[in-house]
Amino acid sequence: MNLELLNYDENDKSHRFIRKMVISAVSLVVFFLIWWNLALLLNNPAVPTPRETWDAMLYLFDKGDMVSGMTMWGHMSISLQRFIAGLLIALAVAVPMGLLLGYSNTINEFSSPTLEILRPIAPIAWAPIFLFTVGYVWGPILVVFVGIFFPMLTNTIFGVKKIEPNWVDASKTLGANKLQVFTKVMLPASVPYVMNGLRIGMGVGWMCIVASELYASFGGGVGYFISIQAQFGYWPNVFVGIVLIAILGLLTTGLSDYAYRTIVKRMGIE
Amino acid sequence: MSGDISIANLSKTYKTDEKETVALADFSLEIKKGELITIVGPSGCGKTTILRMIAGLMEPTSGTVTVGGKCCQGPGPDRGMVFQDFALFPWRSVRKNVEFGLEVAGVPKAERRERAERYIKSVGLGGFENAMVHELSGGMKQRVGIARALVTKPDVILMDEPFGALDAQTRNIMQTELLRITDKTDTTVIFVTHSVDEAVYISDRIVVLTKRPAKIKEVIEIPWPHPRDRSSPEFTALRKKILKMLESENIQPDGSTGAVA
Repeated sequence: MNLELLNYDENDKSHRFIRKMVISAVSLVVFFLIWWNLALLLNNPAVPTPRETWDAMLYLFDKGDMVSGMTMWGHMSISLQRFIAGLLIALAVAVPMGLLLGYSNTINEFSSPTLEILRPIAPIAWAPIFLFTVGYVWGPILVVFVGIFFPMLTNTIFGVKKIEPNWVDASKTLGANKLQVFTKVMLPASVPYVMNGLRIGMGVGWMCIVASELYASFGGGVGYFISIQAQFGYWPNVFVGIVLIAILGLLTTGLSDYAYRTIVKRMGIE
Repeated sequence: MSGDISIANLSKTYKTDEKETVALADFSLEIKKGELITIVGPSGCGKTTILRMIAGLMEPTSGTVTVGGKCCQGPGPDRGMVFQDFALFPWRSVRKNVEFGLEVAGVPKAERRERAERYIKSVGLGGFENAMVHELSGGMKQRVGIARALVTKPDVILMDEPFGALDAQTRNIMQTELLRITDKTDTTVIFVTHSVDEAVYISDRIVVLTKRPAKIKEVIEIPWPHPRDRSSPEFTALRKKILKMLESENIQPDGSTGAVA
């Protein structure tokens, strides 16, 4: 594209913003055109057009679906609640544990064999066991927890290990005891790394929640909705579920990206 | 007398597998309260090791450090430290950085604030209390570092090439500032530097070290009043003499300001 014709100025912030918006819009239009044409071309009931999906979405938000008797709002709120619960538990466990493992070599050496065995297991592999043992409410929450836990733990440990030795020395010469070095230096210094772990974990968390709900045979949630609609062959509804997961995922990761940037900037680190 | 520092037979030996490296041998020095001592020596001779052992951040192999009659075990706020890379806490404001030592000592908030403000003013940063570290220039950062070390009223501040990361002009300004601040508070200073020029400009006494294993080569007393004239004949003569001593230790001192004759 010849941008000179449009008086495009690379150094102008608003020009750059408009350019980005235009390109993004074009990209979305192209995406929908491909989807639309593919749907027409395949002529398969399992691949509805954007239009059919949109109509189904309006209906589902308004009246709900016949199988579960819930509107899309209900399913979304169930998934979101599970997501947040898993996230909070992961935060509460991974951060203190990461600080401890980063701080003490002995504890790190003690726990790393176990952690290294557990880490490569796809979180969703736990779904059958969790759903069977703790049920359809806590099952998906635990799967989300496992998914978010590892990136958060690894990043927190890394954060503690990366702390400037001079910060620790400075605090010691100023009279800080061991506990104060921990709470007043190590803890705040690792916040950007914890936030980075959170940001990565968020993405994993959404995959976990939907996958584990797909597996559950009741209890609501967007994943459950998709699985049940597929069984009945309501394909436009299935697509609605997929689109909503994409939107929810985009919103939460966008939010955590924003939180990460704001906090790192405010703290003056990096 | 309280505030006097006595360093007796301080040595440090590093042990790696089968090799023993003597970094510092038998370093002894008596320092009077309010004195400004600089330590110069060939690169890598163990100047920083001495400071870290006095600070209590490093365990000496043998020897003792006594401050005001007390034997020092581990780090403590009676020996403040100023770092070459400032080592400020970037998540804290200027005020909160300076307050750190008082905060960990449990000083009440109002008093903490008042004392920190006084020291921030005395290092010339009045009005920057709420600034964040990344908003400050190098010289300003080190002013915060000095205020932070002084606010707990230490017997001595240990400065590890504190102006090494600053440009030549800022460096000269900071030398004068340091003299003004420490003169007012009557604080003892032990100052490690690569710059012979800096040492001659600020010191009451200069300790010249040999190359590894570091021993005291000579202690030079400078009785001249401040401010000193860097271009005066006696200033340049003394600088040359110290540079010669360092050259005879085989390794060139890398102090950029000091090396120019």
